[in-house]
Amino acid sequence: MQLLADLVERCQHRLVRYLLYLIGRREYAEDLAQETWVRVLQRGSQYNGRQRFDPWLFAIARNLAIDYLRKKRKAVQTASLPNDRDAMLLLPSSGPSPFEAAARSEDAIRLAGQLRILSPLYREALLLRFQEDLSLPEIAQVLGAPVTTVTSRIYRGLAALRSAFEEGGDSPGV
Amino acid sequence: MIRLECDKRFRELIDRSFVEEVSEGERQLIHDHIRDCDGCKRYVELTARTIRGLREFTFTSEPDSNAQVREILAHHTGTMRQQNVQFKIWAAFVVALSMSFVGSALVYQMAKRLAAPMHFDTAQVQAGVLVFWLLPSFCSALCLLAAPGENRGIA
Repeated sequence: MQLLADLVERCQHRLVRYLLYLIGRREYAEDLAQETWVRVLQRGSQYNGRQRFDPWLFAIARNLAIDYLRKKRKAVQTASLPNDRDAMLLLPSSGPSPFEAAARSEDAIRLAGQLRILSPLYREALLLRFQEDLSLPEIAQVLGAPVTTVTSRIYRGLAALRSAFEEGGDSPGV
Repeated sequence: MIRLECDKRFRELIDRSFVEEVSEGERQLIHDHIRDCDGCKRYVELTARTIRGLREFTFTSEPDSNAQVREILAHHTGTMRQQNVQFKIWAAFVVALSMSFVGSALVYQMAKRLAAPMHFDTAQVQAGVLVFWLLPSFCSALCLLAAPGENRGIA
């Protein structure tokens, strides 16, 4: 129990942040984070101690988030649900995005606008790499995708975000 | 003047240097290249700026968030422990019950052999095994379920 308390202390902040950026609503992110920890408690025996804990934790959180979004969307629209699990991760279109709320610098504010319209797959890969500092194989583990796919999503995401500065008058000058 | 081929190759390398590990030689190659190539130099600056911007999102967590999670986990740990104890008790009961019947059958066979020289009939042997063996062992198995939790001595 002490070990779990230490993990909560170390990872809770990042877990809520990841879930918030994934589903876009703080109250649900907090709830899902709590549910994630309960899953960790129940399935602790499945954790392979040779690997880092964070990717395993994020993978559990991601699956819960997708299931949650699927249920939520099923409740409001019964027809034409996307089959692709990843397609569930679109940010809600109403209200400020979590990025706009968390942007403190001018560059971050500019990026927040781009992140809102960026494909959720690219956005997630970028955040796991540059916010959570996960390695490419770890991101692949979280997303359940090959490393090459993850790499390609990051490059494409970076290209889309760079345009936030290019369009703002900061062209790369080529 | 920047050639397109050089552009593409170096831009890919630059991207890779930000996202993955690149060798010292490749890093030096980028360094040497951007000294003479304004386009790629600008590209490096923009990529670095984008990544810096991504790291600049500041999320503040609720102050009691960790405490709430710890509380929920403590509650779940208690529930899981309780369920675990319940499971162990029922498993022990099933084992005790089967041992009671198997043991009784063995004792009955043995008592039948011993009863012959003593001139006991079958009904007497059956009654004896039932009263002195089967019923006491069955009651002992039932005691596992009836005793209060802390006295069960299983958990």
